[in-house]
Amino acid sequence: MIRPRLSRFFLYLILIFFVILFILPLWSALVTALKTEQDLIYTTPIEPPKTPTLEPLKTTLSVMGRPLLNSLTFTLGATILSCLFGSIAGYVLTKIRFPGSGIVFALIILGIFIPYQAVLVPLVLTMVRLGLYNTIWGLILTHTAYGIPICTLLFRSFYEDIPDSLVRAAQIDGAGTWTIYRRVILPLSWLPFAVAAVFQFTSIWNDLLIGLVLSRGIEAMPASVALANLKGGFVALWNLQMAGTLWYALPALIVYFVLGKYLIKGYMAGAIKG
Amino acid sequence: MAKVIIKNLKKRYGKAEAVENLNLEIRDGEFFVLLGPSGCGKTTTLLCIAGLVIPEEGEIWFGEELVTSKEKGSFLRPQERDVAMVFQDYAIYPHLTVFRNISFPLEVRGVSRETIEKKVKGVAESLGISPLLSRKPAQLSGGQRQRVALARAIVREPKVFLMDEPLSNLDAKLRVAARAELKKLHEKIKTTIVYVTHDQVEAMSIGNRIAILNNGRLEQVGTPREVYDRPANIFVASFIGSPPMNFFEGNVNRQDEEIALDLGFALIKLPEEIKKAIVKEGLSQLTVGIRPEHIEIVKEKGKSTEGLIEAKIDIIELVGKEFIVHLDLGRWSIVSVTSSNLDLREGEIVWFSLDINRVHFFESQTGKALSTS
Amino acid sequence: MPLSWKALKDKILTVLLFLPALVLVGYFVYFSIGWNIVVSLSDWKGLVPSYHIVGFSQYLKLASDPVFLTSLKNNLILMALFVPGSLVLGLILAIFLDQKVRFEGGFRTIYLLPFTLSFVITGYLWRWMYNPTIGVINTILDKTGLGFLKSGWITDPNIALYCVVLALIWQFAGYTMLIFLAGIRSIPESHIMAAQVDGASGLYLYRRIIIPQIKFSFFTAFVILMVFALKAFDFIYILTSGGPGYATEILPLTMYKESFAMTHFAYGSAIASLLFFLVMMIVVPYLLRTYWRSEK
Repeated sequence: MIRPRLSRFFLYLILIFFVILFILPLWSALVTALKTEQDLIYTTPIEPPKTPTLEPLKTTLSVMGRPLLNSLTFTLGATILSCLFGSIAGYVLTKIRFPGSGIVFALIILGIFIPYQAVLVPLVLTMVRLGLYNTIWGLILTHTAYGIPICTLLFRSFYEDIPDSLVRAAQIDGAGTWTIYRRVILPLSWLPFAVAAVFQFTSIWNDLLIGLVLSRGIEAMPASVALANLKGGFVALWNLQMAGTLWYALPALIVYFVLGKYLIKGYMAGAIKG
Repeated sequence: MAKVIIKNLKKRYGKAEAVENLNLEIRDGEFFVLLGPSGCGKTTTLLCIAGLVIPEEGEIWFGEELVTSKEKGSFLRPQERDVAMVFQDYAIYPHLTVFRNISFPLEVRGVSRETIEKKVKGVAESLGISPLLSRKPAQLSGGQRQRVALARAIVREPKVFLMDEPLSNLDAKLRVAARAELKKLHEKIKTTIVYVTHDQVEAMSIGNRIAILNNGRLEQVGTPREVYDRPANIFVASFIGSPPMNFFEGNVNRQDEEIALDLGFALIKLPEEIKKAIVKEGLSQLTVGIRPEHIEIVKEKGKSTEGLIEAKIDIIELVGKEFIVHLDLGRWSIVSVTSSNLDLREGEIVWFSLDINRVHFFESQTGKALSTS
Repeated sequence: MPLSWKALKDKILTVLLFLPALVLVGYFVYFSIGWNIVVSLSDWKGLVPSYHIVGFSQYLKLASDPVFLTSLKNNLILMALFVPGSLVLGLILAIFLDQKVRFEGGFRTIYLLPFTLSFVITGYLWRWMYNPTIGVINTILDKTGLGFLKSGWITDPNIALYCVVLALIWQFAGYTMLIFLAGIRSIPESHIMAAQVDGASGLYLYRRIIIPQIKFSFFTAFVILMVFALKAFDFIYILTSGGPGYATEILPLTMYKESFAMTHFAYGSAIASLLFFLVMMIVVPYLLRTYWRSEK
């Protein structure tokens, strides 16, 4: 289609305008994190530093180092577990017909939408009773449980597209449920695993509320909570706050730029029907 | 109503040439068919006529109006061309009722509501879909949807109708009925129709003229009679006709000033023009084609032994009033279509003759036909 | 048909496989919700749990609590502005990107980036943006001669909530854009071609043919945004903590403060239960419509 050149020009202009709008806060965070206190005062928030320094980054790393490690640990742990359970759940719900599987599915899916507030207090009480309060395992358990619904949805919609005939052929060959899962379904699942894993990693890494409520000291504190605490202690030291923000953002950004297309697939799950 | 002229059309997709230097002249009011296997460029050509695709090179004229020419910088957008198009999947807007679907092109142009009422109802009436006007597409059957698509195209009274395999999604019975209806429609409205299909039976039955395309190239243009009786090359000969034409390689055999063609299982006499062509071009090999319907099977040799070839019946397919008989000639096989009134058995030995007047001769290397019989 | 030993073993194994998922979801979601409702019916205050049931008195207290009412009001304003705002901006971006632009992937990546960031991050980013003395927005306004537009932003109780809305739209527009783009792209090419041949172009084409066919995308994005507006704890916690005063206080925040800061656990749970029901009122019809319809 031939379009008049003028309107193409305006189109790109508007698109670039929005790019600036979307990038501006991040750019500002980046340059601010590299500034000395002098630069903070004497340069505008969008100018790069006159004398760039890595000090803010180093300082915040010492505060956030352990929390970052914590976050990495429980995020990976909960991601793996919720993907696994979600995969099995998705498999059972699509390939094994049992009465009420529709209702079970609906109940699981509903879990995607529940506001954490509605389960917060019982959650804390549970963790205390299990002795998992302020522990990494407590966070792993919690995030796994709340990650299962969305993983189930992702895997189920993928497994629905696997022809039933494949499963039936394996059954005729004598394979049991677990064997079918291991040798037929699992090998075909790398894509939903990738999508679910990236989605879960991002969601769990980004969480604040659960972390706030289930951690107290540095042993299990997630990076998100540590970052949130920065605003109390370093009231006006914006370069430190921005540096901390960058550290926390880094893993999620890496995942986004490297594996972003899987994340996008995850966002779109359930968004296109029919 | 207008004629469509295509000059030197070239369209590339990436490295592949979809249409290579196509030249066609479609006459005003003609039912013109673009026929060919998938990927031959017929749909691309149609989309170029519609203005939905811009070719790399070439010109398209509607009558005296130049609608596409990249070189001359002329291009009329589809919205501005007076064409209507029916798509293979009908492309009926699912969120609009049948009425609104049909009236859409009129609404876009700001036609008054009374006129729209009148026209839509009129077209719906003529296509027999009046009771469906308030329904939504999801509630319609395939055949009904096809008629809605047709109605939407007709209501505009365009200069040219473009149709991209509009019947291929219908089941066989409906298709035959729809074909007849389309033909009647064309006789009534007499507008130029450019019709794309891969089904040669369809093309032969509804087209005034057929253009056969292969790999982006035009193989032949002609009336159904012409492409059937006088195919221009092996491709056309093998594409038109069902079951397809039988082909054999023949070596030129010169004996005592007489030129004949040795097919291996028979030695056939050649018409004068063919003999002349052989001498002129110095050909030593020809490809010979004969349609199954032109091979007559005879059960007893006793009738007349002249020119009869012996064969064993391999397989017989009964298709209603005819047999499709696959004959085994040792190293060769040949297919014949014969009346099913004959009593034939598989494994039987029969004889057949080749009607020289019906044999087609082609140059083996180029595939071109050597004057036609 | 008699159940052979192998078939029985297989069934048991299946149940065993499925069980962890069921147990975890059942406990952490449903049982916990029930537990929470029970707490909301009690009089638990302070650090020692108390399950002395007092009926709906906690809920009744809500009706006369000015903080709660302000919080509810703010939440509703948030929903009313944030949801349409994000939908509209997302739709506009999607339409622009549907114009066969070069580097479409690049633009998409950038527009979606904010959505993938944690609210802790974006909360800090916008604290910096909105800071009245040395923040980004006011500084830019100053330097471009628009200094008269400067404001206290999130320190001004009159407009703080709207600042929050704007920041959230910034974060979500990429997501709604993605949903709409996918919806637009799922329309068969032949429909677009047919509309063009019929004479439609540009905005008319979008308005009459394309947008009406992405109703499902609208629906999905709408539900997700609405639910988010009710759950938006993280962002406001970081950005304003509900302040100045209670100008940006919303329900999730109030619940957290009541339960965890002031140990009014029963009262907090009442707010939480209310939130739960509000969310269910939005989600359940959506799920019914989506999944029940497709089982037809």
